[in-house]
Amino acid sequence: MGNVLVWVIWFLGAGGCLASGIAVVSVTNPFYSALALIGNLASLAVLYLLLAAEFLAAAQVLVYAGAVMVMFLFVVAYLGGRTDAPWAGEPAMLRTAAVVAAAALLVEVVVVLGLAWGDSLQEPAEVSDSFGSPAEIGELFLTDHLLAFEITSIVLLVAAIGGVVLGTTPEKEESA
Amino acid sequence: MDGPGVGWYLIVAAILFGVGALGVMLRRSPLIVLLSLEIMLNAANLTLIAFARQRGDLDGQIFALSVVAVAAAEVAIGLGLIVAMARRRLVLDVDRASELRG
Amino acid sequence: MIAGAWICLLAPLAGALAITLAGRRISRRTAGWISTLTTFAAFGGALVAFVGLRATDSADREQLSTAYTWLAAGDFEVGFQILLDPLSSVMMLIVSGVGGLIVWYSMGYMHGDDEERRYFAYMSIFVFAMLLLVEAGNFLLLLVGWGLVGLASYLLIGFWHKRPEAVAAAKKAFVMNAIGDATFALACVLLIWETGTLEFFGVFEGVGSMSSTTVNLVALGLLGGAVAKSAQIPLHTWLPDAMEGPTPVSALIHAATMVTAGVYLLVRASPIFEAAPDIQHLAAILGAVTLLVAGLVALVQWDIKRVIAYSTMSQIGYMFMAAGIGAYGYAIFHLMTHAFFKALLFMSAGVVIHHLDGEQDIRKMGGLKGVMPRTHIAFLVGTLALVGIPPFAGFWSKDGIISSALATGGALGWSLYVAGLVGALLTGAYGFRLYYTVFRGESAGTEASHAHEAKGEGPLSMLVPVGILTVLATIGGLVVIPGVWEPFLHWIDEAAESLVEPTVVQDYGTSAIAVGLGLIGLYLARRAFFTNRQLVTNPGAWRVFEHKLYFDELYDALFYRPVVAIATALRRNVEEPIIERSLDEIGAGTIQVGGEVARVQSGLLRTYTVAIAFAVCVLVIVFVAVR
Repeated sequence: MGNVLVWVIWFLGAGGCLASGIAVVSVTNPFYSALALIGNLASLAVLYLLLAAEFLAAAQVLVYAGAVMVMFLFVVAYLGGRTDAPWAGEPAMLRTAAVVAAAALLVEVVVVLGLAWGDSLQEPAEVSDSFGSPAEIGELFLTDHLLAFEITSIVLLVAAIGGVVLGTTPEKEESA
Repeated sequence: MDGPGVGWYLIVAAILFGVGALGVMLRRSPLIVLLSLEIMLNAANLTLIAFARQRGDLDGQIFALSVVAVAAAEVAIGLGLIVAMARRRLVLDVDRASELRG
Repeated sequence: MIAGAWICLLAPLAGALAITLAGRRISRRTAGWISTLTTFAAFGGALVAFVGLRATDSADREQLSTAYTWLAAGDFEVGFQILLDPLSSVMMLIVSGVGGLIVWYSMGYMHGDDEERRYFAYMSIFVFAMLLLVEAGNFLLLLVGWGLVGLASYLLIGFWHKRPEAVAAAKKAFVMNAIGDATFALACVLLIWETGTLEFFGVFEGVGSMSSTTVNLVALGLLGGAVAKSAQIPLHTWLPDAMEGPTPVSALIHAATMVTAGVYLLVRASPIFEAAPDIQHLAAILGAVTLLVAGLVALVQWDIKRVIAYSTMSQIGYMFMAAGIGAYGYAIFHLMTHAFFKALLFMSAGVVIHHLDGEQDIRKMGGLKGVMPRTHIAFLVGTLALVGIPPFAGFWSKDGIISSALATGGALGWSLYVAGLVGALLTGAYGFRLYYTVFRGESAGTEASHAHEAKGEGPLSMLVPVGILTVLATIGGLVVIPGVWEPFLHWIDEAAESLVEPTVVQDYGTSAIAVGLGLIGLYLARRAFFTNRQLVTNPGAWRVFEHKLYFDELYDALFYRPVVAIATALRRNVEEPIIERSLDEIGAGTIQVGGEVARVQSGLLRTYTVAIAFAVCVLVIVFVAVR
């Protein structure tokens, strides 16, 4: 019984992921595109929960969906939701090349997975209940991966400064 | 709990990645390109977390968290660029920004 | 004593360096003095060496002195070494003595020339090179001196480099000498191959064990070099043209010393030639042919210097003849007396030319006896010595050669004998033709010669050397009086033993005939002059002689034109279309390819993205394959 449930939830999550992903790419209106991305993030959060990554699922929803996407929507609203230039134009060769490249990538990944399906992807490791909990992740961040933690914060700082710089108005720049 | 094996998640991630790649390569609006880029990043995240579960190693999740942070930063800058372009009344078309030619 | 030899060698080099380094800081006169004094210093050194050598025991008279090892390759070694022996000591005296007189003379002759310093530097270089040649203790150093005198000759012939004829003549001289240099060098290579050394004594010892072909080839190579350097047939065409250089240059290089280097080589390498008798006799034959041809051509020349040049060619023919039959002592003896009287002739001709402000055509001269009495005496003495009238110098040496031919006997000896006697007749004819035309009769010249009657004969620096040489041309032959006193011959014998010695009867008998023929020649010339005719009346013969038997034209057709044609053809068909164009096309091709490749950079961001995607695909394959 529980097994079936897991599978059902999995299918829902995966299906939502793929559907919203395709929607993001194919819809003309950027507003709807952004909304589709939010849907994508939510589906992903479900999948993360299935993979015993609770903290990450929460962080994803809070930060990604809650903050980043909101920012996205603000900008889309500011821009007035233009629908200019939906799809790529010429050269036609480029379009086919793009499709071919993406397809090739997919095929390769599938092949690799197929090769490895038998042995290394069979049994997931045994994990404790606190696997993926905020406590464990926090502990790792502050001990083994302290450098990554600090550098990430610097990256965010730089991004913030950059955003401010990019946001200065043209008039202000000319008078300076 | 038994459920789909890690491999299934990886396939989903792969398809998602491909879809995102198509979006980056085939859309002309920079906003949509940015969104497609986000999809690709999320696909990568999914892969990382799947493998973390597979190996019982939390490093994958740490990595994924850093990816989220970096993605956020990148989106901030990207949007800033787009807003600046719009402010200067440039057409928001990736094909027009072609000065990197040889 | 050996120090004297070193000083002799290095003094002129020091002079040349001093003049070169001082450049414009010294006056032209000073350059002349430096050159003259260093050459006389060399003479002093040669004298010391000579006297010292005479004082040593006869067995010890081969002194080798090595300064340092110049070249070493495996077992083969060549040192910078000089050899002091009777032969080289005599040559040193001649070169530095006569050379010193001529350099002194140049101070007057070249006075006022803009580039006097360069001239004296070149002269000093030449003296050094010639001394190196005669003092060398091994073939390689000899070759070095050989090449350097060729270079000095080129520099000095083309001294007035703004004259295209001078430049052409210099090139011609150098190229023809290069042929000789090449054969000489090949001979050296063979010597190294066979004997492993280039030192004279090592080579001479090894000669016995060489195969007949090898030794003939070596001798032929050396002969080739000698023929070119001494302007014998067939490599003689450069010498008349070399008269484009200043007269002192003609005197020093193309009469007294450089052209005699070939004779020196033949005598020095006599062991090799004696082992290859065919080649040695070839040398004699070439000498005989040359002396006849040159004598004939001299009968029709109008340029005073060219007559003397052909005379030189002819006299060297005598020397070759002597060396070719093994009369080494007489060959060197004639070399010495020839240096005296030929330099004398050139220098007095130079005084005449200088007096007439550069006029060299004898048709424009005449009657100079009254105007230039001292030069007249000098020229007369020179001509008498040349023709071989006793007691002047040429008599003793030339007749010695002819009688040696008689003593050799056989077909070769007799034909050489006849040739030598005919040559004596020709010498008398052209020599006195020149004398009469220039100095006697009425002044046939232009206003130039009239205007200069008021001038003196020439500066002291020109007249004193001429005077000294006049004395030498008179008494210089008295070191060999056959049957009575032959110190010179015995001296040279120690270095190179003569193969043939004429008896006293042969000697005096030949002399009588030769002198008689010379006087007949004088009489013919005198008669022709006073009846206002030329010696050669047949117009066909005249034309042939005037064109020097068409050798120049022959060489032009045989060598020059084909080579130029080949070169032009190659240039048109190979170099331009293939080499030049291919370079152009490589350039154009690169630009084109570059243009094609540049189209990849379309500027479209999406192109780059697609490219990245493909790259990732490839990378995935690589990663999988590697694992």
